[in-house]
Amino acid sequence: MKNSIIVFCAIFLSFAACKNSQAQSDHKAPASEQLPVVYACPMHPEITGKKGDTCSKCGMALTERVEVAVTTTAAAQSTASIKEIVSGYLLVKNALTADKTVDAAAAGKALEVILKGFDKTALTVEQKKAYEEIAEDAAEHAEHIGANSGKIEHQREHFALLSKDIYDMVKTVGEAGQALYQDFCPMYDKGKGAIWLSETKEIVNPYYGKKMSTCGKVKEEIK
Amino acid sequence: MGKTRLKKMVFVAAAIFGLMQFFQPARNESAQALDTDISKTVPVPAGVQSILSKSCYDCHSNSTRYPWYAYIQPGGWLMAYHVRNGKGKLNFSDFGSYTKRRQESKLKSIAEQIEANEMPISSYLLMHGSAVLSLKEQDLLINWANSTRDSLLQ
Repeated sequence: MKNSIIVFCAIFLSFAACKNSQAQSDHKAPASEQLPVVYACPMHPEITGKKGDTCSKCGMALTERVEVAVTTTAAAQSTASIKEIVSGYLLVKNALTADKTVDAAAAGKALEVILKGFDKTALTVEQKKAYEEIAEDAAEHAEHIGANSGKIEHQREHFALLSKDIYDMVKTVGEAGQALYQDFCPMYDKGKGAIWLSETKEIVNPYYGKKMSTCGKVKEEIK
Repeated sequence: MGKTRLKKMVFVAAAIFGLMQFFQPARNESAQALDTDISKTVPVPAGVQSILSKSCYDCHSNSTRYPWYAYIQPGGWLMAYHVRNGKGKLNFSDFGSYTKRRQESKLKSIAEQIEANEMPISSYLLMHGSAVLSLKEQDLLINWANSTRDSLLQ
């Protein structure tokens, strides 16, 4: 009798637990949108103009100006390190750049565990507060990435928000333990754009995967 | 199979069903609106509010409207499970207690889930036909969520 009640409950719970998975929506590429680009002389950066113009000083053709700010983390002096979190994040990122939804889910689950089990004893009171605020949100995104294997577009939506969280964490909580690049994809999210963090200077876009692997640019180098 | 055996099985099944009725889950009904309610945190126009109440609040707030089958088990258990799950992910009654970062995240996810036709979930719509969002209602909610998020970002 007791057993049949348990079996009965189990059947209903499992029924409740199965969500209808929607067919993956097709990737909608927004009309090509670019950020305003400044053209400048490679030798005289103060000379700027339109594409095709030449420098008034030396006559060289103006080229697209790449502005990369090099910054250090605010927490660089502290002993706190969020190395494992950054590595966990990069695993998610690298799975998405390769369009590997199952690997991204596994990495998301692992990152959720890292975020929740992070040892905060080395943090100052302020860092701890910042960490808790960011990690609460980040862990939720990691969880969703973990739970949505097979729905890579949905994983990427959460990845965009996760990237912002991890960036803020690197800036306010602790050392990343490695050089990072803040990259920007101007097309993602219907032209609103999204950032991601990468361990390589070379652009490998996680938002569109292999379809548009080299799309994007380095915005900032974080040391 | 003997007739007596069949009788016995029907009896046992009925007894289990009867026993199940003694286990009523706690109701998710809060009489007063909290200060942390979304309407007290960000502007919620009346049109948006009525859609939220109709299609979202059963699982994503502290005030579920219970249909008759919620009073018969296992219907009530199933519903309690859905509500607990839904509130864990997003609770409009608690929205004000979220950090700003989380509020922004939630608004973005609201827009994305509706746009992808993932919300309200189909298992809920099966029993709550009136909760289905028309295209117009979807647009209204998506625009509201996006513009509210943009205002929080500033």
